Amino acid sequence: MNKILLIIQREYLSRVKKKSFIIMTLLTPLIVAGFYGLIIYFSIQGVKGTFNKVAVVNNNKSLTEKLQPTKNIGYAYVNESLEAMKSSLKTTKYDYILYLPEFDISTPKGIQLIGTKQAGLSLSNRVSGDIEELIRTQKLKASGISQTDLDGLKTDVNIDTKKIGEAGKEEDSSAGASTIIGTAAGIFMFMFILLYGIQVMRGVIEEKTSRIIEVMISSVKPFQLMMGKIIGIALVGLTQFVLWIVLTASISTLAVNAFVGKDTIAQNASVAIKAKDGTSVSPVVNSPVDSPVLAMQKSLASLDLTKIILVFIFFFIGGYLFYSALYAAIGSAVDSETETQQFMMPVMMPLLVGYALSLSVVTNDPYGPIAFWLSMIPFTSPIAMVVRLPYGVPDWQLALSMLILVVGFIGTVWLASRIYRVGILMYGKKTSLKEMIKWFTYKN
Amino acid sequence: MLTIKNIVKQYATHRALDDVSLQVEKGKIFGLLGPNGAGKTSLIRIITQITAPDSGEVLFNGERLNVEHISQIGYLPEERGLYKKMEIGEQVLYLAKLKGLNTAEATKRIRFWFEKLEMADWWKKKVEDLSKGMQQKVQFVATVLHQPELIILDEPFSGFDPVNADIIKNEILELNKAGATFIFSTHRMESVEELCDNIALIHRSKKILDGPVKEIREQYRNNTFWLEYEGDYNTEHSQQLFEVLQAETVNGKTQLKIKIREQQNANQVLSALLPHVSINRLDEVIPTMNDIFIQKVTQTDQKP
Repeated sequence: MNKILLIIQREYLSRVKKKSFIIMTLLTPLIVAGFYGLIIYFSIQGVKGTFNKVAVVNNNKSLTEKLQPTKNIGYAYVNESLEAMKSSLKTTKYDYILYLPEFDISTPKGIQLIGTKQAGLSLSNRVSGDIEELIRTQKLKASGISQTDLDGLKTDVNIDTKKIGEAGKEEDSSAGASTIIGTAAGIFMFMFILLYGIQVMRGVIEEKTSRIIEVMISSVKPFQLMMGKIIGIALVGLTQFVLWIVLTASISTLAVNAFVGKDTIAQNASVAIKAKDGTSVSPVVNSPVDSPVLAMQKSLASLDLTKIILVFIFFFIGGYLFYSALYAAIGSAVDSETETQQFMMPVMMPLLVGYALSLSVVTNDPYGPIAFWLSMIPFTSPIAMVVRLPYGVPDWQLALSMLILVVGFIGTVWLASRIYRVGILMYGKKTSLKEMIKWFTYKN
Repeated sequence: MLTIKNIVKQYATHRALDDVSLQVEKGKIFGLLGPNGAGKTSLIRIITQITAPDSGEVLFNGERLNVEHISQIGYLPEERGLYKKMEIGEQVLYLAKLKGLNTAEATKRIRFWFEKLEMADWWKKKVEDLSKGMQQKVQFVATVLHQPELIILDEPFSGFDPVNADIIKNEILELNKAGATFIFSTHRMESVEELCDNIALIHRSKKILDGPVKEIREQYRNNTFWLEYEGDYNTEHSQQLFEVLQAETVNGKTQLKIKIREQQNANQVLSALLPHVSINRLDEVIPTMNDIFIQKVTQTDQKP
C-alpha cells in the first residue's frame, strides 16, 4: 500500500510541476473569463452602442402621428428642408436624415434614410419597422380605436419555465441555463476523460519505451504500478478542475463587477445629463433586471450548482477510471504511440457516440428513453448524466447510474490489469486484439 | 542462499524453462550463461518475482520466495531505463523508497554513492542530459543502494567504456567481499572467468552445465598444448604421439598447437623432440569459458 502511495506521489508531482500544467491551469480560466467578459461587454455594447440620432424631415401631410424615440434610435422632427439638412448634416448632431415624402399611407414609397455613412441593415430594418408601426397606429386610430386601447394592446411576454419537483412543489427552472450548464459539463467531461485517459496511456508507453518498467516491477507489482499511475493522474485532473472552478469563478466575478458595475453607472449618468437637456434624443434605458447578463446569472442561481459540481466530480472519477484502465491496457500492449491507432478506435467510439448523442438527443429530450439508457450504460453515462443533470434527474436513476459505473470501472480495471501485466514486458512484437485476449487468459 | 528446484515456465507456444535446478551459494559470484533466447531472462524474472513459475520452487535462504524478499534483491535488467524527465537524485531516491528505504537513509546513501562514483554534481541533472554510460552508473547505484543480499546484474558492462567498466567491476568485487551474492548474466566470457566463482549454462530452456568455473575448465582439458622450439623437426615422425592443430614458423622459431593422443603424455613428447630441437616452451592449454560455451552449445544443437 505504501508503495502505491509513493507511485501516486511521483505521478502526481511530476505532472503538477510541469510548466505546461501550470500554464494550462492558469491560462484556461483567464480565457474562459475573458470570453465571459467579452460576451457581457458586447451585449452591453449591443444595447447601448448602436444608438443613432435621426432627424426626420416630414413632407407628408397625411402622416400626423409622430415617431417616438426608442432605445436604439432617437427620432427628432426638424422643420428645415431636406436640401438644407443634407448640406448641413456633417455639422449637426444627427447621424441620419429620414425623409418622408408625400405618399398615400396605404402604399408608402420614396422614403429615404440618408447619412454620411451607409446605414446598416439592422438600423434600416428598425426604422422601417418603426414606420410600419406608426402607419398601423394611425390607421387603427382612424378606425376609431383610442390611444388607451392601443396602449392596452401592447403586452410584453416573458415565459418563466417551471417544473414540478420530486416533492410536488414548483421549482424555478430555466431551460436555457440548464442547456448551457449541461452542454458545458458534457464537453468538459469528454475533454477530461480523453485528455487524462490519454495521459495514462502515454505514461505507460513512456515507461515501456524508456525501459524503466522492468526495474519498476522488480520492486512493485504491475497492478500497483498501474493503479498508482491511474490514481496519480486522476488527482492531477481533480487539481486542475478545482483550480479552474475557483479561478474562473473569482476572475469572472471580478470581471463582471468591473464591466457591469462601471457601465451601469455610466449609463445612468448619461441618462441624467440628457434628461436635464430636455432633448428628446436620450436613449430609453432598460432597467438593470432586463439586462441579459443579470438574467443569465439569475437563472444560474436557480440551479443547484453544488450538487452539479459534486456529481460531475463523481462521474469524472468514475468515467476516468473506467476509460483510463482501458487506455493503460492499450499503452502496455504497444511499443510506441504511433502503434496505438488500431486500439484507440474501439475505445474512442463509445465516448464519441456518447458525446455526440448527449449534446443533441439528450439536450432536446432529457427525460426520453435514449437519454435514460445513455446515462445508465457506463461507456456513455459519465457524459450523458452530467448533461441530463441540470434538467433534473430522479435520485434513483442517479444512484443506479453511479452504481453501474462503479461496477463498470472495477470490471475494466480488472480486465486491464490482466492485459497490462503481460503487455508491459512484451517488446518488439506487433500486438493484435486477438493476442491481447490471449494474454488475458495467462496465468500469473 | 538461493535454491532453484525444477522450475518449469511455459509460454503460449514455447517452453522457456524446462526443469531447471540451480544452487547459488552465499557470498559467491554466480554466472548465468547461455545464448540469446535460452531462457536466462525468464529465470531471472522468476527470481525477481516479476513472473511466477508454472511448477517448481525457489528458496531464498531456505524460505519459499515471497514479497518480503523483494527488498533483499537488487536487479539491474538488461533492458533498463530511467524516467527521462526526472532529476537523477530524485529518481534514485524514488527507486530506493520503493525498495523500502526511508527518505533520510536513502538520501544519505545516495550521497555516499554519488561521492564514491564521482557523480556528486549530478543530483539536479535530468536523465536526458546524461550519456548512456552515465545513465548506467545511475542505474547501478539504484540497484545496490538498498544493500541487497542478492544482486542480479544482466549484462552489467554493456555500454561502459573500459575505465568505467573497471570502476564498476571493482565495486562489484568490493560489495562481494562485504558479503553480497551476485548473479551475473552475460555473454562476455572473459568477464565470467575474471569474476565468477560458479556458473550455469542454459541452452534451449535446459541447464546443460553447471559447477565452479575452475573445475569446469579443468574438466574440459583435452591434452592440448602450446609447443615452441628452435630448430628443424618434421612433425610427421611423431604422428602417433600428437596431432598438430596449428603451426607457425617465425624467425626460425616454430610454434605449434598440438593435441597429445590418448595414452601418451607431455613427457613422451619432450623426449621425442629433445634430441632434435631446443624447446622454448611447452604449456597446457586450459580451455576458456568461451571454448567450453561454444563446444557445449554446438554439441547440444547437434544431438536432436
